[in-house]
Amino acid sequence: MSELTLFILRFGFLAILWIFVFAVVFALRSDLFGHYTRRSDRAVPDITVNPAAQAPTFIPPLDAPVNADPARTLTITAGAREGLEIPLDADQLTIGRSAQSGLVIRDEYTSTHHARLQLWNGDWVIQDLSSTNGTFVNNQRVSVPTPVPLYTPVSIGSTIFELRP
Amino acid sequence: MSAPLSNLENTTITEQLLLRLKIPTKLRNLEAVLILFAMVITSFALALVDLGATGKLNVAIIGLSLGLGVIVLALHLALRFVARDADPLILPIVTLLNGLGIAMIHRLDIANGLTGWQSQATRQMVWTAIAIVVAIAVIVIVRNHRVLQRYRYLWMAAGIFLLLLPLVPFIGVTINGARLWVNLGIVSFQPGEIGKIALALFFAGYLVTARDSLSMVGKKFLGVRWPQLKDLGPIFVVWMVAMMVLIFQRDMGTSLLYFGLFLVLMYVATGRAIWFVVGGGLFGAGAFVASRFLTYVEGRFTAWLDSFNPAVYEAIGGSYQLVQGLFGFASGGVIGTGFGAGHPGIVPLAESDYIVASLGEELGLVGIFAILSLYLLFISRGMRIGINGADDFGRLLAVGLTFVIALQVFIVIGGVTRVIPVTGLTTPFLAAGGSSLVANWIIVALLLRLSDTVRHQRDGGDAA
Repeated sequence: MSELTLFILRFGFLAILWIFVFAVVFALRSDLFGHYTRRSDRAVPDITVNPAAQAPTFIPPLDAPVNADPARTLTITAGAREGLEIPLDADQLTIGRSAQSGLVIRDEYTSTHHARLQLWNGDWVIQDLSSTNGTFVNNQRVSVPTPVPLYTPVSIGSTIFELRP
Repeated sequence: MSAPLSNLENTTITEQLLLRLKIPTKLRNLEAVLILFAMVITSFALALVDLGATGKLNVAIIGLSLGLGVIVLALHLALRFVARDADPLILPIVTLLNGLGIAMIHRLDIANGLTGWQSQATRQMVWTAIAIVVAIAVIVIVRNHRVLQRYRYLWMAAGIFLLLLPLVPFIGVTINGARLWVNLGIVSFQPGEIGKIALALFFAGYLVTARDSLSMVGKKFLGVRWPQLKDLGPIFVVWMVAMMVLIFQRDMGTSLLYFGLFLVLMYVATGRAIWFVVGGGLFGAGAFVASRFLTYVEGRFTAWLDSFNPAVYEAIGGSYQLVQGLFGFASGGVIGTGFGAGHPGIVPLAESDYIVASLGEELGLVGIFAILSLYLLFISRGMRIGINGADDFGRLLAVGLTFVIALQVFIVIGGVTRVIPVTGLTTPFLAAGGSSLVANWIIVALLLRLSDTVRHQRDGGDAA
């Protein structure tokens, strides 16, 4: 093996060593979870969607009469998982800190069984399940089951969501 | 919603969402790719060593690279089962460091004409395998790090026992002036290496309970809140132990390592920088007195400050090794002589204490900085785990374990590059030495376990 080949190989080795270093740095940066960029993990509420808690998927037959056009998605507009869209396939969705909830919101202001979103004659209705800190539709605290129109902010704890078609 | 994955069409969209949120194997896949990358670099290094030193490839390197690959992948598979959310970067970084160490030791074997079971590289490989098996055992057995907090006084006893074990007559062995080894007939090892883990566990467990009194009270004087006299007890005890190590085991590095670990954990637990002033003053005073009255410490200081004096260079226990190491760095220059082309064998103990000088000679400044970057990345991951830790014990433990490695790297590389006096510690993961490898791989296992707990809890799972 000639000196030149060996020199190129040695140079290549140093290059590949640095490529490894930069690969690790790149992986750090693009860490999908993003947990490692947050300083405090206590302050950030945790939201997960629990499919097991939703009722079996309800697919309306194409020719079935639908009286209004009910909202199909729930979009989180503020809070930890801002931008998350949850499809409303079933005719009810429970919200709370409990792992059994359809939409799990973990922060200090959410009760274990906080609220329930229910399809009622083609309209989504939210019912507060006597939560400690309340459920707000359009900044009004709800005490009785209240219809939720499209694009109306509903806030639970530090999370705000709205229904969209 | 983005387009659903085609093979998930018959699941509900929420299930797909859940999958996308959790992505359970994403981290492990990233880890697998990086481990393979590290293996490729290791094999490349071994091949270059053979090509550079002997001009042809030797079959021994296949065993070395495959051996490391298989055993690291075993740990990776174990993580897939028992710690799926563990940090994906730690294992590849450590694998590469370990592999580079084996390559360099193999290169020194060629220089020293050692083959077969005589060769240090083979022994290093066997020790790596043992260390990783121990690491797997740790990560499988320790499912919840909080359990470790319960046994903090047991860790204290174990730590002190291991620390003082080399002083026991008949089994304690003095090598190169330092009494750090224990010889049990077949194997000799440095119990202090394992002891540092036990002490990190004890310090973390102890400071979680004691930190309130350590951080709250004390009189203000000169604009600083000074600790109360009775709160100085623990730091004083640890200082005494460190001084005992310095005097009786004759090793400044170990002494500095334990004391530094305690100081940093005290600072992290209480947030009071005054502990550094108190502790640094105590250790500085101790080291100064030791340098006056203990000949070996004095010798180390002279060899450090006056290395190039011919009298010091020629003296027994003088600066010969240090200066040869520096000559090695110098002849390596910026890009090094290349694997197999330098003369790293000239330096005594080139495969253990001075492996950094050997790597510096053959990989140059560029290579050494890559290695230091790897340490830096490893340490930054460890500190990150500490910052994100779920509970105080976990945070302190992650910081403590990471800092032990950071301080050890500083003490060793600082010594070899003549920033501080030379001491007898080993470069983590790189240097030849079984106890050091086992200890550092246990630290890796504990950090992986802690990082898994951090993510696991964040993702809404109920950690046991």
